[in-house]
Amino acid sequence: MAVAATHVGGGIADHVHPEPQGFIRRYVFSIDHKIIGIQYLITGFIFLVLAGLLAEVIRTQLMNANGGFVSNNTYNEVYSIHGSAMVWLVVIPLMTGAFGNFVMPLQLGARDVAFPWLNMISFWMFPVAGLMLFSSFLMGAPVAGWTEYPPMSLQGEAGTSMWCAAIFLVGISSTLTGMNFMVTILKMRAPGMTLTRMPLFVWAQLATAPLSMVATTALAGALAALFMERQFGVPFFDPTKGGSPLLWQHMFWFYSHPAVYIMILPAFGMISEILPTFARKPIFGYKMIAFSSVTIALAGFMVWAHHMFTSGLAPFMQLPFMLLTFVIAVPTGIKIFSWITTLWGGKIHFTSAMLFAIGFVVLFALGGITGIFLASVPTDLHLHGTYFVVAHFHYVLVGGSLMGIFAGFYYWFPKMSGRMMNETLGKWHFWLFVAGFNGTFLPMHWLGFEGMPRRVAVYDPQFQFWNRVESVSSYVMTFAILLFFVNILVSLRRGKKAGPNPWKARTLEWQIPSPPHYYNFKHVPTVYGLPYDFSEPLPYRGLDDELTDAPAPVPAGAH
Amino acid sequence: MMRLKGLPVVEKESSVKGLGPGFWPFTGLLTLLAIANIYFWAVTPLSRWMPTAVTVATQIDELFRVFLAVGIALFIYILGYAIFFSIVFRARKDDPPDALGVQIHDNHKLELWWTVLPTIAVILISWASVRVWFPIQIASASTPAGLVVESIGHQWFYTFRYPGINGEVTGNMHLPVGEPVTLNVSSEDVIHSFWVPAMRLKQDMVPGLINVMRFTTDRVGRYRIICTEFCGVEHGVMNKQYLVIEPKAQFAAWYHSWQVKNATASNALPQISSAPIDLSDGSAAAGQVLFSQKCSACHAIAPFSKRIVGPGLKGVLHDPAHPNLLSGKPATPANVADILQHGLQGSYGQMPTQVQNALTDKDIANLVAYLNSLK
Repeated sequence: MAVAATHVGGGIADHVHPEPQGFIRRYVFSIDHKIIGIQYLITGFIFLVLAGLLAEVIRTQLMNANGGFVSNNTYNEVYSIHGSAMVWLVVIPLMTGAFGNFVMPLQLGARDVAFPWLNMISFWMFPVAGLMLFSSFLMGAPVAGWTEYPPMSLQGEAGTSMWCAAIFLVGISSTLTGMNFMVTILKMRAPGMTLTRMPLFVWAQLATAPLSMVATTALAGALAALFMERQFGVPFFDPTKGGSPLLWQHMFWFYSHPAVYIMILPAFGMISEILPTFARKPIFGYKMIAFSSVTIALAGFMVWAHHMFTSGLAPFMQLPFMLLTFVIAVPTGIKIFSWITTLWGGKIHFTSAMLFAIGFVVLFALGGITGIFLASVPTDLHLHGTYFVVAHFHYVLVGGSLMGIFAGFYYWFPKMSGRMMNETLGKWHFWLFVAGFNGTFLPMHWLGFEGMPRRVAVYDPQFQFWNRVESVSSYVMTFAILLFFVNILVSLRRGKKAGPNPWKARTLEWQIPSPPHYYNFKHVPTVYGLPYDFSEPLPYRGLDDELTDAPAPVPAGAH
Repeated sequence: MMRLKGLPVVEKESSVKGLGPGFWPFTGLLTLLAIANIYFWAVTPLSRWMPTAVTVATQIDELFRVFLAVGIALFIYILGYAIFFSIVFRARKDDPPDALGVQIHDNHKLELWWTVLPTIAVILISWASVRVWFPIQIASASTPAGLVVESIGHQWFYTFRYPGINGEVTGNMHLPVGEPVTLNVSSEDVIHSFWVPAMRLKQDMVPGLINVMRFTTDRVGRYRIICTEFCGVEHGVMNKQYLVIEPKAQFAAWYHSWQVKNATASNALPQISSAPIDLSDGSAAAGQVLFSQKCSACHAIAPFSKRIVGPGLKGVLHDPAHPNLLSGKPATPANVADILQHGLQGSYGQMPTQVQNALTDKDIANLVAYLNSLK
């Protein structure tokens, strides 16, 4: 491998610029992937709080069958921004921008991503887009949900155009990050790190990157069309002017189904790192897990119309989309079975990260199983557009993605900050969150089956009992998240010093100091095997100086 | 091979006899639970929670029960083993420091099984789905159409058209029991949805498209029709109309009463009047009633700044602070009528047209008289 030769020779890979001095270049307009990752993390958590408060407005309104907490129109604005913000400002940026940026180059043995300046630009689009999205409240926010189907969205107030612009911008950010990660993973691996020696979190990012790159551009097209129709009257979607409302649905879901996998594949990767570390045994079926991520990503492009079974899709078109969607159950099942088998025969340490990882496996599995009901046309004819759908995607996105984010955060916080999180608070967080989560979303399954449609500000009084159970449970869930943030703040100040490797993990990021130096590795290491063989010596060479005070070779390569 | 300084090298690998303590009894317990679950769904019809009004609903319910039986059984195993392995294989206080789990990487036989078994399960699920899907979505197209009814979605109600009845039928939708029905659904404004939970069927009502539902009624009763596609501020209450399935004689009487009531109604679709509307004999009292039915979802009787969707309309014709309407024209009765007729696309979004709001010319005259009376 030509690249490896130059690495070993201490050529281009040891070429390091000195760390910039000054607050602005170091912490604001930083080009360091670790700082950018933490910037994504903080910004994403701020939007998590805002969008979470919107969720509590929703649940408080639904406490009573006739609503009354906010007006119908405000309610519609609130759930539309809640959904949009959670998808585009919380889960996607946290999964790729935050954890991808911080962890992936370290696990690769790289000194940064391939295009650090592009990385900085990607990041700064994200808070701007977030402010734009929330500013739409000032001009009449969109009301037609995060899906914004026309003709409803054509009638929305000025904020709907702002929504288009905001999502367009955050979409560009996501596309650029996808390109950046793709090149980084394919070109910047440490010598000896072949594709089949990469940690599974990197595999997950590799499967996610093409989704961000390709699918997001379809969304950009759809948003541009909607914006032009709203602002300049170009008739793409309005049927009275010859447009087609279904065109939007196709373009939107061609992005948004792959986006579901952008939101969950990185979590699969995190879980695949955390389970072996705390079970003290190799991940079961490394190749199957890696390969199934890629299979899911590919298949994710071919199933979008299963969101449109009741929209007026030609009936014969329903068949391929239904069958292809079922096929995704096979790689997903392989993953779940592999994770559970990883627990078998382990020496399991129940840290907060491990609890969230095991919780993820179980709750995500339930979300996957309810997906079968929605993928099958005859049952979807009944369930489409009901609270069953709301239950399904919250099991996948909260029980799945958000639990993954928590697991990953408890796991990598010591590496980011150099300090340990408080485990007692972490366990309270876990158990309250799981109880609140199930209380909130489990009853939605039968409410949907029995006839409660989604996106309603008022509902039939027969559903009031379970809605109250859900609302009260959602307050428990919110309280658990409050504990999480308290834990972060307390641990940042008073947390125990973590040291380089508190979990005795074996991937590369744990073999260097916490937090890592600006240049990550004093010498780029050479990799000899997979990072999951706990009984073997570490499969790396060239890390001897990392934890010593030996000066880094930075000035030599600097210019 | 190098070792990292400061990391322990003494590590102890644990070994497990067979599949671990209690594995087979626990698997037996999970299997009993799974079988009990499958048995429960085999003997419990879903009509226990939700009646079935048409024949296909029973077939769809059978598919539901297959999914519930298989899905919950699968979940019992996943949850069960996750908890069981967590307990059995937990790290213990008396473990040697740095104790390790069993160092196995994979097991090709096991992996082959859990690729092949889900694949077989997917094939079975596909077969079960297609078996129900084919008759309702494909084969039904070539069976006799039966009674052909049309339903049109509006913000925020449904209207119906029946062969032999002029114009539109409002209120509840009636169908005779035991008859094949073809229901064509569409919309006049935004996307709505026609869902009767008791039918287990739903189609979106998309403007410019006609979507078709075919079914055979088989149980007398009143079943709610519910909109499941977000369609505006009153979407949540677009569930007040019923599908009434009744004996043929009662249906015939209902059908006849609408034939009489709509004898002079026109089948032409409503049109936006081309000429300016005569506003001379508008009734403010009639306008007030209309306002509460058609306008109050978006407009308050309050000052301009009090917005719901559109601006408040109190004193719209007598407000010195707002001499012009949002159309940019002076606030005169004729210009208000113009907005009611043609709608308005402006900074507040879309005000619907006369046709979208189902307003006659007379209605507009009454509304203008009412708005003019508010000082």
